[in-house]
Amino acid sequence: MRLWRVVLLMNMALGFGLFLGYLAWGRPYLELERELGLSRQPAPPAVERAFSTRGVVRAVFPDRNVVVLTHEDIPGYMPAMTMGFPVQEPRLYEGLDIGETVRVTLRGVPPNLVITAIARDGKP
Amino acid sequence: MTIALGLLARWAHLACGLGLLGVVGAMLLAGPSAGPTATRWMSLMSSLVRWLAGAVLLSGIATLAGQAAVVAGRPGAALDPAIWVRLLAQSQFGTVWLVRHGLLGLLAALAVLREREDSRLDWAAWRIESWLLAGAGMAAAAWAGHAAAVEPLGLLAALTDALHLVAAGAWLGALLPLAILLKHASTETGADARPYAVLAIRRFSRMALVAMLAVVATGLWNTWVQVGGIPALVGTPYGWLLLAKIALVAVVLGLAAHNRRRLLPALPGDAATVGRPAMARLSRFLGAELGLGLGILALTAGLSLTAPALHDSPWWPLSYRLSYDAAAGVPGLNARLFLGGQMAFLGLLAAIVGWLAGRRRALFLAAGGVALVVGLWTALPPLAVDAYPTTYLRSPIAYQASSIAKGQALYAAHCATCHGKSGRGDGPGGAGLPRPPADLTAPHTGQHTAGDLFWWISHGIPAAGMPPFAGALAEDDRWDLINFLRALAAGEQARALTPLVERERPWMVAPDFSFSVGPAPPRALRDARGQFVTLLVLFSLPDSLPRLDRLARSYGDVGLSEAELVAVPTDADPHILRRLGANPPIFFPVATDGAADIVSAYSLFSRSPGATASPPRHVEFLIDRQGYIRARWLPGESGKGWDDLEVLGGQIRALEREAPVVPAPDEHVH
Repeated sequence: MRLWRVVLLMNMALGFGLFLGYLAWGRPYLELERELGLSRQPAPPAVERAFSTRGVVRAVFPDRNVVVLTHEDIPGYMPAMTMGFPVQEPRLYEGLDIGETVRVTLRGVPPNLVITAIARDGKP
Repeated sequence: MTIALGLLARWAHLACGLGLLGVVGAMLLAGPSAGPTATRWMSLMSSLVRWLAGAVLLSGIATLAGQAAVVAGRPGAALDPAIWVRLLAQSQFGTVWLVRHGLLGLLAALAVLREREDSRLDWAAWRIESWLLAGAGMAAAAWAGHAAAVEPLGLLAALTDALHLVAAGAWLGALLPLAILLKHASTETGADARPYAVLAIRRFSRMALVAMLAVVATGLWNTWVQVGGIPALVGTPYGWLLLAKIALVAVVLGLAAHNRRRLLPALPGDAATVGRPAMARLSRFLGAELGLGLGILALTAGLSLTAPALHDSPWWPLSYRLSYDAAAGVPGLNARLFLGGQMAFLGLLAAIVGWLAGRRRALFLAAGGVALVVGLWTALPPLAVDAYPTTYLRSPIAYQASSIAKGQALYAAHCATCHGKSGRGDGPGGAGLPRPPADLTAPHTGQHTAGDLFWWISHGIPAAGMPPFAGALAEDDRWDLINFLRALAAGEQARALTPLVERERPWMVAPDFSFSVGPAPPRALRDARGQFVTLLVLFSLPDSLPRLDRLARSYGDVGLSEAELVAVPTDADPHILRRLGANPPIFFPVATDGAADIVSAYSLFSRSPGATASPPRHVEFLIDRQGYIRARWLPGESGKGWDDLEVLGGQIRALEREAPVVPAPDEHVH
């Protein structure tokens, strides 16, 4: 075979190899990227969920039935921050002091969660 | 031993790969020829390509073995197939290695299974293909080297490095084939190839000039990226290797310039008396260049296995350094600098003009040289300040509140006896010393590098009676102490801070700190970088209650809400939230953990202009988004204060609107 044809064939083989590589890895990768983008779009399904977290009490508003906590990360729901949560019934926050560390349980369909239990943590 | 073998493998791989590039390139430069000597040379080169292609693959496998030993940390791993598989499948080095050796393998196949060359098209196709494969195979190595790790310009750095490799190959690799061609052509029997050789060497000369410029330019850029400064160049192993490499390159460039100016024009001269002797001589000189080139490649292989100087702590070899900042204030300095600089510049100009003009060259050179030396002699000595081996050492401990607090405790225990409680050099222990202890709050403290302080603390200052502390304090302790000294000197300057932001003039670095509120995870000042302005409030109960009350009620109002407010109790009470109580509710972070370090560090920045007494019970700082303290309010100061929240809001908005004018401060002391 003529040498220039060998070279040409080889380059075509290289190009073909790159194309196969794209088909085998590149395209599925792009597809996965697209699907990942799509899967991030829709809101999480509307089912009731429960979370538990620790926080320090910053304020209690009995007239609005709200306790404000500076809390830890709530995995799957929100990062650590200072935020007010509605409480299921007033007796849960009776006798609670500002600065107390508590463990709370949150229930509901995100983002409408209410505190259903408050336990004193003991530690400052 | 493993290191030496790994180095040898890398060197051989580099030499063979660049050789391939150069040999094929030389064939392309020389072009096809029907002459018997030229044909003989061409077939010799073809077999050289086969040998080099085999050698580059073998040495490539050896580099893989070497890398396996380095990665696994034991020599035995060099031949462990499991490590090889892991390395190839799961590392950038492995991916790049596979791609490169795929290309080089194709090249080897093309060279070994070579078909007949029936036409010029065949001739060119094989060589151009081989050159491209060798070029791509070697250039891709840049993606597995130091260049690929450069942030944030990784792609640019890798492309530059790739160009550096290809240009070096085109130049250095072509030396051997051309030396052989010239040797053949300079003999009686090879006379038929003389015009062919002269043409080839002329083309090479033109190409090599471009390649050398590319090598030097990309090399300088690489040096800038991987070294970054003079101390790193003269004070680290990477820098030394690089200096040796630059010196060798300079010698080769000199040799090349001589060849180009003297020997090249003589080649077509009378065969017996001028042409052939010049050819033989040029052949030998090319051989010498090649030898030096192999030395350069050995140094390059060494560099590829050495941590770049930028990531190393330089060890300064001289007893002085040149610094304008440290010498500023010496009387007559600027006049001497100006005069000497002008003289040196004129001298340099005269030398260049003399060199280019060619007439009375020696006179011009001598006069220019003398003026240059005298000029430098005038300008530079005043800039020299004492330096120590550790002068350019970088602190491994970040400039943050916890380190400053530790340093403060160490200072009280080890240093205060002589340097005084407040650092003014007025301690009782300093009375009988040969030289009074330094005033550590004086502005000049900031002109010494952290490395200078590290040296003095470690080894003492014998002439002044300062003892060495290398035995008493661990290295990290000494760096904590240095962070404290920096904060102490900065705190002295902090007296100039006012409640009003100086627009676009950040100068006071805020030590980083971290704190937490209750069980929430710790947060650091750093987290606010590029995000928001921080209002840091150090408070004491009960004095600060009215102020906190005010801030709590206005929290969320326009102005204040644009800053992140962090309140820190000076007594570092973990139960501070309980003491603050329910009314009014406070929603901004109040540190229940980490307060002690913040208070001891920021107290240094809290002294009022006149006073030396203990820090005030309440102080507020505005820290901009870059991490600089920009304004400070001490209640009771005369003039406009932040008791008027409108004023505070105005300062916050000014900082919010300001575009970053200086880079964020380094986390380490300089």
